[in-house]
Amino acid sequence: MTAIQESAQRDIEANPYRPWPARITSITDLTDKEKLFELRLIDEDVREAFQFESGQFVELSIFGVGEAPVSISSAPSKQGFIELCIREAGDVTGAMHRKKCGDVVGLRGPYGRGFPFTEMKGHDVLLVAGGLGIAPLKSLINHIHDDRHEFGKVTILYGAKSPAEVLFRYQFDMWQHRDDFDLILTVDQPDETWTGETGLVTRLFDKIDVDPANTYGAICGPPVMYKYVIEEMRKKDMDVDRIYVSFERRMKCGVGKCGHCGVGHQYTCVDGPVFNYWEAMNLQGAI
Amino acid sequence: MFFRVIDKARLPDLVKGLATEYEVIAPIAKGEQFVYAAVTDPADMRLDYDTTLLPPKRFFFPSEETLMRFRVADNEVLDDEVYAAPRVLFGLHPCDINALLLMDNVFSGKYEDPYYLRRREQTLLIGISCTPSETCFCNVWDTNEVHWGFDVFLTDLGDRYFASCRTVKGAEILDRFVENRQVTDQDTTDFQSVVHGFKNSFKRVADTTQLPVLLDAKFDSPIWDEFGDRCLSCGACSMVCPTCYCFDVEDRLEPDQKSGVRVRTWDSCQFKEFAAVAHGQNFRESRASRVKYRYYHKQWGYLSKFERVLCVGCGRCARACPAGITPENVIAALQTGEVR
Ligand SMILES: Cc1cc2nc3c(=O)[nH]c(=O)nc-3n(C[C@H](O)[C@H](O)[C@H](O)COP(=O)(O)OP(=O)(O)OC[C@H]3O[C@@H](n4cnc5c(N)ncnc54)[C@H](O)[C@@H]3O)c2cc1C
Ligand code: SF4
Ligand code: SF4
Ligand code: FES
Repeated sequence: MTAIQESAQRDIEANPYRPWPARITSITDLTDKEKLFELRLIDEDVREAFQFESGQFVELSIFGVGEAPVSISSAPSKQGFIELCIREAGDVTGAMHRKKCGDVVGLRGPYGRGFPFTEMKGHDVLLVAGGLGIAPLKSLINHIHDDRHEFGKVTILYGAKSPAEVLFRYQFDMWQHRDDFDLILTVDQPDETWTGETGLVTRLFDKIDVDPANTYGAICGPPVMYKYVIEEMRKKDMDVDRIYVSFERRMKCGVGKCGHCGVGHQYTCVDGPVFNYWEAMNLQGAI
Repeated sequence: MFFRVIDKARLPDLVKGLATEYEVIAPIAKGEQFVYAAVTDPADMRLDYDTTLLPPKRFFFPSEETLMRFRVADNEVLDDEVYAAPRVLFGLHPCDINALLLMDNVFSGKYEDPYYLRRREQTLLIGISCTPSETCFCNVWDTNEVHWGFDVFLTDLGDRYFASCRTVKGAEILDRFVENRQVTDQDTTDFQSVVHGFKNSFKRVADTTQLPVLLDAKFDSPIWDEFGDRCLSCGACSMVCPTCYCFDVEDRLEPDQKSGVRVRTWDSCQFKEFAAVAHGQNFRESRASRVKYRYYHKQWGYLSKFERVLCVGCGRCARACPAGITPENVIAALQTGEVR
């Protein structure tokens, strides 16, 4: 760290609840309910000090409305900007959806424990996303993409309700034709244009080969999904401590103080949101 | 540690002296009960109090506080200074000092909470020995003794106080504000007999053997449904608890909608919305799951991080609960499977 970064770090640490102004530099409509926002922290030193891992999240702050935890969707290798994929679900996310390019919002973070990227290197990776769960996994996917030669086989299974709800479709449509990523999309309710798979994401496990001794799993999706996907991974003999899950819980502070995100004996915000399955099995009520 | 003896008749001098430089907070009577409040006249203090309605946590972590003032237009923070005036908390019992030590663990660490910590730095703590009340069970957690976290601790020896000074500040205020003398062998002997008498005066016992294991092994036990059926989700247990720290944060706009304040308020895991997330999902929907969570976190969650249970046996929640749910009942139910 440079001296300037250190001094920015001190400013940030002086008050962990203080959000830092960030400008919205681009907005992309993904579906009816989700938009992708690109943001840039305005203070150069704060921006430099903001170093994150895939799987971590920020607290998005809109003064007068409140705060919401949001996963970072872009890869750490993308410097200076971060992307947030946000579904309109209430006050803060709704206010964010009404923002225009150039508007300023607040960010604090990055928070939490992300995916073990370094540990995953040299192995096959099986990523399973359901719905909005693709948001944090997108960061991991892009990060792997940037370091593709460091990984073995990379398989992505992604399920959405309907074709209209498939996120990042423009990118995934292109990726369908790549041979360095095995990407399978599925929807519960296909329409006449849909040519991909149909049904729940768990059904896709019949179509893939997994080398259990050499594979890391990463799962993110709606709460009901975890149990079934983990079952499929276990059927493929994957190790409990190589299956990683990312949890969503109610959060207020993001820094282990407010108590809202408690899961079992841990706090999702500081001990997670990414846990391996062994840890998750030891968290009462987690899955 | 450094020790002094103060004649009981001289104690008001200490309070008066402190009041010239600090706001002095001490227990006073309120109807049949006791509360912590600002005092100017030492005669108002009731150092013979059993316990206070609310714990002293609110002097560090108020039930409502402004974190920052903001401007809406450019999402800027206008002011996030922590305004903490120098204070003395006079007459804290060992349980309440121990409770602050447990709170310190939460509000410090990797992310330091400037609001709590600044007030902590600005506040002197003067502890005092006590007599166990009907609901006290600090003996169960060994929180009937306190060894640090205070500036001065006064042990009542009848006609005089045995004063233990933990900090430089503590020693300094004694020397500046009250006549005191060195400790004699007789003082130490009397101190020993008082603290032994105190230790032997506890009536309550609780079998805390392997509680963390029981909490997991009996996670699905019907005892939780029984407690859940009784609980009213009023949150009183959390509000009166010196170790409950959960909070909520909300923004409040000025009438002109241009600026506002971000405020944090006490919250409770017993409230229904506490663990609710978007799209109608609630991770602790049932009252049973919420009552269980409060104990699970106190006896295991916190312990897993800081090697102490998050309870000091002050008995306030037992007094406050309209449904008669007490830590002792819960612990006994975990051991025996029967709900009292
Ligand atoms: C680690 C993590 C990562 C997340 N990543 C994303 C993401 O990448 N994209 C995305 O769109 N959403 C994400 N979320 C969910 C997002 O935080 C919630 O949708 C958002 O907080 C709702 O806030 P709101 O003000 O818009 O809604 P509100 O108006 O506050 O409430 C609507 C509903 O959301 C619930 N809720 C309120 N506050 C929270 C909270 N802090 N956390 C969870 N639920 C809450 C309420 O119970 C209510 O039922 C993530 C959540 C977590 C915990
Ligand atoms: S749980 Fe009850 S007895 Fe224990 S510290 Fe809190 S209020 Fe006191
Ligand atoms: S005080 Fe008693 S009734 Fe009220 S929330 Fe706590 S346990 Fe439930
Ligand atoms: S979000 Fe506050 S403790 Fe985790």
